[in-house]
Amino acid sequence: MRIGNVDVKVSIIAIAVFVFFTIILLVSSVYSPEVRSQLIWLIPVLFMLLVIPMALNYMSRKEYADMEPQYEAVAKTVRVKLINESMIGKPVRIEGVVERVNFRFLNRPQYIIADRSGSISVKMFTSPNEDVKVNDIVEVLGQVIHRYLVTGDPCVNCISIKKIKKPAKDSKS
Amino acid sequence: MSNDNSRDITVLNPWLEYLVPLLSFGGALVGIFFWVTTASVDYRISILGCVLASWVLAYLAWMRPKKDIVALSTPVYSFIFLAVPTDNFSAVVLEVLYAVSLTILLIRLKYRFGAQVVKVPDKKELVDPVKIYVEKIHETGLFPHPGIAHTAAVVFVRFAEGEFFDAARAAKSSIAEQNDAVGPELCLKRAFEIVREQSNLLDQSLPAPETFLTFSADDAPMLAQVPDPKFGKSEEYDTALENALLILFAVAWNVESDRPHLLQCQAFAQRLLGQ
Repeated sequence: MRIGNVDVKVSIIAIAVFVFFTIILLVSSVYSPEVRSQLIWLIPVLFMLLVIPMALNYMSRKEYADMEPQYEAVAKTVRVKLINESMIGKPVRIEGVVERVNFRFLNRPQYIIADRSGSISVKMFTSPNEDVKVNDIVEVLGQVIHRYLVTGDPCVNCISIKKIKKPAKDSKS
Repeated sequence: MSNDNSRDITVLNPWLEYLVPLLSFGGALVGIFFWVTTASVDYRISILGCVLASWVLAYLAWMRPKKDIVALSTPVYSFIFLAVPTDNFSAVVLEVLYAVSLTILLIRLKYRFGAQVVKVPDKKELVDPVKIYVEKIHETGLFPHPGIAHTAAVVFVRFAEGEFFDAARAAKSSIAEQNDAVGPELCLKRAFEIVREQSNLLDQSLPAPETFLTFSADDAPMLAQVPDPKFGKSEEYDTALENALLILFAVAWNVESDRPHLLQCQAFAQRLLGQ
């Protein structure tokens, strides 16, 4: 669903929760007059299970979209191998091949991006604009962070991930 | 922690891996023994085996570069397990199941979360791959003027921090001081020039140019990674920078006052060495 310039995506988990409680509500309202008498507020609450995740997704994606030009302006293009603990907090741009995608169903995808120098974990805390799949060649814009906020190896907090068309020889196959 | 102690950790860890099933199944066996012999002790004492095994597993998970959150959180589960009152039979069954779970988690940790690394424990000394390389450079007799060695530290640290403009500027100032460099010092000058060139390009997010600075064949004994003749332009470009940065790190180590800063960036040097 599109709101303004933002393409809002609801995670499959949120949809599953909505469907689950819809079924519960339908079944219980058939058998219980008490539940039927409460439908006036139960139905709006049920829809809130969809509306709240949508609102959160809209807000986070809008925030990310607003930050993207700022990162575009200051991020340096670096090879994966050059990203290290001393760069925590620095905006970076990396280009590489998507080796793995996890947690896409939660709208919090985590990618393993590899270039010829190595690979790095890229975490995104909202859904990406594009549907990025394994073997896509992408450009990632983000900030170097610790994997676990204050500790762990460096990874990239992704602000934007875009598919790019580049000759395969430029990236690790 | 000394380097020798770091080696001890690698020796110790296989034993710690054996400890996980030993402690957990050992505890479970003690529990079974109490149960079979109807000993008049609290069976839950035997759960301590599982608690200790959980802590060992969590430590092993912590030592790996990729952290396994499940293995890391096992001590929490073990305490819940210990705190919840159960009857004797349930406690023994739970212990056996928990011991099996911990063993599965250990296998998962080993095969899914890679080999453990010897961490730089307190950032007080160089660890092996870097230390060996630094010693190798010192054996070549490369001991530049302390001012140049200090600039090498500045360039390396600024580069590691992603401050490419500052790194390039510092490198430029040092190159000007090395006009009469010969032998190993010429190699050092070239390292500064390579870092300066590539830092400038990185600062402007520019790709590798068609022609770029590299080390000469005479510099091979000083390089951490001798370029393979089969290398393409990209690999040659990357290797030149990595070698140059490592030479600067090794040279900078001569200046005692800069060592704390270099130790902070030691992980980057390790990464450049392919660790």
